[in-house]
Amino acid sequence: MAVLSNEDAAQEPDLDKARHVKYWTRCLKTLLPHHYTSNDSNRLYLAYFIVSALDLLGALDTVSSADEREDYVNWIYRCQHPNGGFRMFPGTDFGERATAENACWDPANIPATYFALASLLILKDDFSRINRAGTLHWLRQMQREDGSFGETLVNGRIEGGRDPRCGYCAAGIRYILRGLREGSAKVNGQEVDDINVNQLVHCVRLAETFSGGLADEPFHEPHAGYTFCCLGALALLGRLNLTGPPAESPLEAPKNPEEVLKWLVFLQTELSDPNAGVDSEFAQSQRRSNKPANSKKIDEARDARKDTVHQEPCETVGVTLFDLIVDGAGMCGRPNKVADTCYAFWAGACFHIMQQPQLYNDQAIRRYLLGKTQHDVLGGFGKFAGDLPDLYHSYLGLAALSLAEMTGVKKLDAGMCMSTEARSRLPKLWASWNV
Amino acid sequence: MGKYSEDPKWSDIDPLPTDEGGPNPLAAIAYAEDYEETMSYLRAVMAANELSPRVLELTEDLIDMNPAHYTVWLYRSKCLFHLHSDLHEELEWLNETALQHQKNYQIWHHRLTIVDALGEECDVQGEQEFVARMFEKDAKNYHVWSYRQWLVKRFQLWEKGELEFTEKMLEEDVRNNSAWNHRWYVVNGREAEGVKGVTDPEIREREIKYAEAAIAKAPQNQSPWNYVRGIRKASGTELAALKPLAERYASVERPGTVRSSFALDLLVDILSEESGGKQQAGKALDLLATTYDPIRKNYWAYRKSQLGLGSIETAATA
Repeated sequence: MAVLSNEDAAQEPDLDKARHVKYWTRCLKTLLPHHYTSNDSNRLYLAYFIVSALDLLGALDTVSSADEREDYVNWIYRCQHPNGGFRMFPGTDFGERATAENACWDPANIPATYFALASLLILKDDFSRINRAGTLHWLRQMQREDGSFGETLVNGRIEGGRDPRCGYCAAGIRYILRGLREGSAKVNGQEVDDINVNQLVHCVRLAETFSGGLADEPFHEPHAGYTFCCLGALALLGRLNLTGPPAESPLEAPKNPEEVLKWLVFLQTELSDPNAGVDSEFAQSQRRSNKPANSKKIDEARDARKDTVHQEPCETVGVTLFDLIVDGAGMCGRPNKVADTCYAFWAGACFHIMQQPQLYNDQAIRRYLLGKTQHDVLGGFGKFAGDLPDLYHSYLGLAALSLAEMTGVKKLDAGMCMSTEARSRLPKLWASWNV
Repeated sequence: MGKYSEDPKWSDIDPLPTDEGGPNPLAAIAYAEDYEETMSYLRAVMAANELSPRVLELTEDLIDMNPAHYTVWLYRSKCLFHLHSDLHEELEWLNETALQHQKNYQIWHHRLTIVDALGEECDVQGEQEFVARMFEKDAKNYHVWSYRQWLVKRFQLWEKGELEFTEKMLEEDVRNNSAWNHRWYVVNGREAEGVKGVTDPEIREREIKYAEAAIAKAPQNQSPWNYVRGIRKASGTELAALKPLAERYASVERPGTVRSSFALDLLVDILSEESGGKQQAGKALDLLATTYDPIRKNYWAYRKSQLGLGSIETAATA
């Protein structure tokens, strides 16, 4: 059997940092192209990607002036709702025509509020303009009886799905504005009730599935994104169970952390071509077009291995050690799907939240992201290999690289998806609020 | 000059442009003129709380360009119900919109609101057919599977061909994990109401057989392996009962015959529960880490350390 030394195979691809800075600077300083129109109502999360990406690259303060950064902060506050919380974009505000009758069409929004607070933290804002009491009071109203959170409150009804995306953002808002301590809190002289933490944890428990992953609702298919939101929310509530059976009082989740970890581990996959038939992708020794210089040696080694094992391609196990060394392996969001840049974060971050980051193969993640989905010319990352970059995948690709120990990117806090440096500004804010 | 400003039907409306509030807004978009105009008219009619047929046209236009706008959908449904509009027509329009914007959540939420309001008047078969059309585009679309689950519960379709539907989907792609999950739901989704799923021995037998046949078709497929493990857990039966199945596709003694890493992994769990099986389990973990599933080598090493067996040995390679 041919032997492949590490040196032959593993010329680690690089992060093209200058190109990424250029990509994000363009996003910061010039108008986003018109095909982002379908995301007009998600502008606050696009804003957060831009600000946080430049922070992770250590470029936020060099590509913008102090005056510009003040304008950015002002724009975020432009989205603050008069009664607390934030809108996703200025587009719902009626300005001088706002009345009590039309207020229902301009509600504060749970994800928008988390992304606004996170962006302000990254921009080193002092939070003096935040309506803390109003936001926390509104947050309490955004929780349904079953423990789940909605997106908006319109005409007295909590609107939006029951999925843990809103639960995660709600937990994040609560954490930023009042820390971990439970029970009612005094904010600017007002007594503000806490959310029902137990009921939110209960909600997460119901979304655990027979195969270990977590879904958005009972019986739905487990999904890496929802699993992240559930685990992230639990961590921000101080109710995450890391080993063994969970506590019942105060209630913790998940019920079986080992099964969650195992389900996550299996999301790492060498499947990366969304257009390939599943069976051909699973077959052994599929050659890819962009062979590295040492591919002949690898082919020989691979063939040698095939002869040894005597397996039918249609029945064999998927990846060989050689595929892995050359192409790396990203993460998919659900079993039997192909890898996608964003899941390198959603799944990767879960391991960090569960305090078991060594369980996934971070070298293979780096190879996949840098060698396959990083865009050579424009910077940023696409969803799949060869795709044009977009803000969402470019940010999460960078975040995932930070978690995979990539040098040149600031250390990321997995649970809050911002630099640990940004998160570390919280204790000072809490002290100023006596929480 | 635009579609609305030139139309006499809209001449009474004073459009309301967006106010960014100051210089250097974040994530500003190079809007097309027609989008900016439509948004300005939308804001004006929403500010006036107008509920009229022309509002339906306007919201249709805007949703086409920005289906993620979270209040425009609520405004539209208020308008629909206020005008007693034909909800069947609304569904037809939604069909087209859903096919165009496959990853949008709001569309499905709106559909659910409309179909729920139609109740017994709803053409359930039509809904099922539409779902099938969506699956032709993407057989794993999360929103569509969630909607299908809701339909089953709302219209009590549990025993009306739903199990056969999962079989049809799995015949097309035995690795479709969403279809496996749906099957689990159809079989076990009423346990809380007292309708037994895999806790019933006959149903359990049937489901294990079904999964075994799928494994025979493609042994290296995680979904049916998860499914049989799930059955065991939900029914409280012994893991050891799965040993013959695991041994059909994996062996520690004859590593060259391993046909499924999932079988080998199952064997690890079974062996580590047996008295004196630990060393064998360790060998199986060595095989996984070095030969059959090297992506997860760190995880297999972790499992080995949990069994108190030390690190991975490469000598086990076939």
